[in-house]
Amino acid sequence: MTEKTGNKSDPGPINLEDITCPTREQRANGITAFNGKASELVERSKAGGLRNCERDFQQNAGCILNFYLTVRVATIRDAVMIIHAPVGCSAPAALYREVYRRLYSAMNGPQDFDFHWLTTNIGEKDVIYGAADKLRFAIEEAGRRHSPEAIFILTSCASGIIGEDVEGVVGELKGKVKATLVPIHCEGIRSRVVQTGYDAFWHGILKYLVREPRKRQKDLVNVASMLSYTWQDKIEITRLLAKLGLRPNFIPEFATVEGFRSLSEAALTAPVCPTYTDYLSRGLEQEHGVPYFLYPSPIGIANTDEWLRTIGRMLGKEKEAEGAIREEKARWVPKMDQIRAGFEEVKKANGGDFRVMGSLGQGRLVTQTPFFHELGVSTPVALCQDFDDLLLEDVENLLERVGDFDIVVNTFQAAEVAHTARKYDPDMILSCPFQGSAYKREKGMTRIHALRGDGRKWSAQAGYAGAVACGSFLLQATRNRAFQNVMLEKTEDPYKDWWYRQPDPYFFHNKAAGGGS
Amino acid sequence: MTLTVIGGGPGGPKALEYPEISESPRFTCALGGAYGATLATFGAVPILHSGAGCGMANAHGMTYASGLNSGGAQGTTTTPCSGLIEEHVVFGGEDKLRRLIGSTIKLMKGDLYVVISGCVPALIGDDVDSVVAEFKGQAPVIHVRTSGFAGNSYLGYNMYLDAVIDGLLEPPKAVEKRLVNILGIVPNQHVFWKGELRAIKALLEKIGVRANTLFSDFGSIGTLKRIPEASLNLVLNPFCGLAAARKLEGRFGTPFLDLNFAPVGPKDTGAFLRAVGRRLKVPARKVEAVIKEEERDLYRHMEYLAEMFMISMPHAFTAFVGDSRTIIGLLRFGANELGINPVLAVVTDDPPEEVRGTISSLLTENLEGAIRPRVVYDYDAHRIRQALKEETLQVILASSLEKYIAKSENEAFHMSISYPVYDRLVVDRHYLGFRGGISLLEDMSLDFAGPL
Repeated sequence: MTEKTGNKSDPGPINLEDITCPTREQRANGITAFNGKASELVERSKAGGLRNCERDFQQNAGCILNFYLTVRVATIRDAVMIIHAPVGCSAPAALYREVYRRLYSAMNGPQDFDFHWLTTNIGEKDVIYGAADKLRFAIEEAGRRHSPEAIFILTSCASGIIGEDVEGVVGELKGKVKATLVPIHCEGIRSRVVQTGYDAFWHGILKYLVREPRKRQKDLVNVASMLSYTWQDKIEITRLLAKLGLRPNFIPEFATVEGFRSLSEAALTAPVCPTYTDYLSRGLEQEHGVPYFLYPSPIGIANTDEWLRTIGRMLGKEKEAEGAIREEKARWVPKMDQIRAGFEEVKKANGGDFRVMGSLGQGRLVTQTPFFHELGVSTPVALCQDFDDLLLEDVENLLERVGDFDIVVNTFQAAEVAHTARKYDPDMILSCPFQGSAYKREKGMTRIHALRGDGRKWSAQAGYAGAVACGSFLLQATRNRAFQNVMLEKTEDPYKDWWYRQPDPYFFHNKAAGGGS
Repeated sequence: MTLTVIGGGPGGPKALEYPEISESPRFTCALGGAYGATLATFGAVPILHSGAGCGMANAHGMTYASGLNSGGAQGTTTTPCSGLIEEHVVFGGEDKLRRLIGSTIKLMKGDLYVVISGCVPALIGDDVDSVVAEFKGQAPVIHVRTSGFAGNSYLGYNMYLDAVIDGLLEPPKAVEKRLVNILGIVPNQHVFWKGELRAIKALLEKIGVRANTLFSDFGSIGTLKRIPEASLNLVLNPFCGLAAARKLEGRFGTPFLDLNFAPVGPKDTGAFLRAVGRRLKVPARKVEAVIKEEERDLYRHMEYLAEMFMISMPHAFTAFVGDSRTIIGLLRFGANELGINPVLAVVTDDPPEEVRGTISSLLTENLEGAIRPRVVYDYDAHRIRQALKEETLQVILASSLEKYIAKSENEAFHMSISYPVYDRLVVDRHYLGFRGGISLLEDMSLDFAGPL
C-alpha cells in the first residue's frame, strides 16, 4: 500500500517498547558536517563512509529540546507541557500567549487556544537530591489548574545527567491523574542532529497517545507540518485536500489531543517535510497500517502536482486529483509565468544568471531546490542543516533533475556559512530567521521562510498559492538591496580577515578526531 | 526561593509546596543572564561551555523576548559554543573547551573572551578554571561559573560582574572624583536597558557627573577596567547589582549609593539628581539650576499632551506587572504626577525576602491620592492572571504575556513595559528622566483614537 517513492533505505522497525527513539546518528547515520559535491555526499553516504566530526570551532546551533519542541508542544490546545529542566530551557516558550493568539485572532481560528505550560525549575538542591517529587507535583498541579487531556513531559540535559526516573513517576501517577502522560526524551546531550528531537517527540506520541483505531476515517489525511510553515499554508493545504474530498489532520501545532489519538484512523500520512515526518509516518504504518509517502512535499508547482497525484493514487482519487491539478494550474501557472518573467529581467540585468544560495533543512533541500529552478534561478551551492540516509534516494533523484551542485552540511555554523557565502558570492542568500547578523554576510540576504506565528499572505509557501506568494516574495527581494548593502558596509564583521583569505570553510574541523569532510 | 502568593487558585495551600514550579516565569537562567551581560559589553565575545541549545534558547527566550532584539554582532548563531553531547559527559568537556577557546581567539575579533559554563560542565565537574588559566598571556579570558540550575538571570548578571571583578580589575592608580558606575540596570531583563543607560548617563552629565554604564558602550574592556576608578557605585535596583557594589567596596573601597530604582518623570528625577549631587558634593546651586530649567521645559511640553491624556485615560485604575525597579519608577510617576490610581503591583523578579519590605514601601508609601496598591510577589503567569482577574482595572502595564488577557478578561488597555516583550521593538525607547513620561504617554496613546 505505502509507496516508498524514492527511498528504499530502511532504518528498521520502530520499537515502542523502548522509552525513546534511537538518535538519528544510530538510526540513519546522521551527520552535521560535509563540504563537497552533492554527488559525492550521496556516494559516500551509500558506501557508509560518512562520519560525524568534532569542530574545534563551533557555534550556537540549537539542541533537540530547543529546536524547537518547547515552542511547538506548548501549542497543543488541550494539553499542558511540562519542561523538566532548569528555568532557562523553557525560555523560548515565553511567547506562547501573545504570538500565537495574535495569529489566531487575525485568522479567525478556533477560540480555545489558551495554552499552558510549566517548568519544574530544577535548582541546585534538585541536582543533588533529585527532582522526582517536583515532577510529580508539577503533573498534579497541571491537572488541578487546567484538567488537560494530555500532559507532555519534556526532559533536559540536567534531568538526564542526574538520572531522573521520569518513567517511574509517570507509572506511579498513571490512573491517578486524568490526563494521558507523555514523556519525551529530548535531553540536549543525546544527539548532535536536532532531528532526533522530532523522532523523540513522535516516539512519545506513538507510544502513549495514538489509540487503536475505532473506525477508519477514509477522508482523513495526517499532515505533520514543520515549524517553518504558517497558517496560510494550512489554509492552502486544506483547500487542496478538499478538492479531493479529503480533510487534513494537522499536527502538532494548534492540534487537539484527539487529533493525535486519531492519527491511527487516517487514510494516509502525507508529508510537508519528509525528514521531519519520517518517524511518525513509519510508526503509524507499522503499528496501525496507515499508509504514507515521504516525497514530494507540496512546494512549488511541479511538486504540488505530484503531491496531489500521489495522494489521489494512494486513495483511489486519481480523477479528482487530475481535475484539481488542471483547475489549479489554469489559475496559478500564469502568475508563476509572470514571476519567472520578472526573474528573466533580473537575470538580464545581472549578466544572464541569478544565483541563489539557500540555507535549508534536509527536507527543504529536496523540495525547495526544484522550486528555485521553476523560478528560473540557479543554485550553485546549498547549505543543509544535517544529512542522513533517510532521503538518500530523493537526493539522487534531485541530482538527476537539477544536476550536481555543491553542498555544505552544517547546523547553523555561522562562520562556515559566512565563509561559503563569501566564496560563492551568490546574488541572493536565503537564510532561516534568527541567523544572527546574517544580513551582513553578503549583498542580498533575505529570509527563506516565515515561522508559524506569521499568518500573513505574503509569508505563504505551500501549494500553488504558496509557490506564487513565495516566488513574488523572492522577486520583491531583488528590487532593493539598500538595507543589506548599508549594513554590510557600516557594521563590523565578527571574524578576522584571515578567515576569508584561506580557502577552507571547514578549517576548524578536527580531522584527526573523526574527519567528517 | 519563596513567594507570597495571593489568590491561591484551585490548588489551595498545596500550591505553595513548590512555588518555583510555574507557568512561563519572567526570567531565564543564570547562564542566560551572564550571556546577556556579555553580549551587552561591546568588544566582549561570549564562549558558551554548554549544550548546543543553551545559546539559542536564550536568543529566543531572552534577547528576542526583550523587545524583539537580536543578540547583536556576537549573538544568536554567531556565539561560540562547545555544544556538549553524551561523549563529553562521559569523557569530560575540558579538551573541547580548550580547542574552542583557542579557535575563538584565533577567529573572532574581540578584546575580552568570556567563558560561561552551563549545566553540563557543572554536573560532570569540568575544571573550567584550569582550562581558562592556560590562556593567560594570550588574550584576556575570564570565566563565569554559572549553570542553568544555579538560579535565574538576575543572579547571572551578578555572577558576570563577579567574574569581571575577580578576573579583570586591578586597584586604580587614581580615583576620579565625579565618576560613577551604574549598577542594577540588567541587560535584557530590563527591556529598555539600552535607552535607560544612555538616559542616566546624559542626566548625570547635566550636573557634571560622568557615568560608566558598563554596557552598550564602545569603551568595551576599557569601560570595565575603569570600574575601580569611580568614586561611587550607583545601584538603581533594590537587590540586583548590590552584591557587586558590596564586593567593589570591599575590594577597592568604593562606596555605593543604593537608590533602589531609576527615576521616571520630573519629581523623582529631581530627587535622583539631588541625591547623587549631595553624595558627590556637586554644588546644590548647580543641581537646582538644572532641575529648574528641565522642569520648565518639560511642563511647557506637558501642556500639549494634557488634553489627550484627560480624554483617554484619566485617573485610570491601573495594574503594574514587572521587575521591581521598573514598576517602582512607573507606579510612582503614575500616582504622583499623572493622577492615576494604582490598584495592583505584581513584582516579578523574585527579590530576596530581606528587600521585600523596602520594595513594598516604595510601591505603597509617599504616594499622592487615596489608593494604595495591593503588592504581590510572583512570577507564575497563571497566578498573576488570577491576581489581575480579582481587580477592576482600566490600564495594565505589564509584559506581553498579559497582552490578550488584559483585553479579554479585564477589558483594560495594555502596554508591555516588562520582560517578556514580544509585541514591540525596543532599541532606543525608555521612560526615564524628566521627559520619560512624555514618551510613555505617546506610546500609550497608540491604542486610543480621540472622540471627535
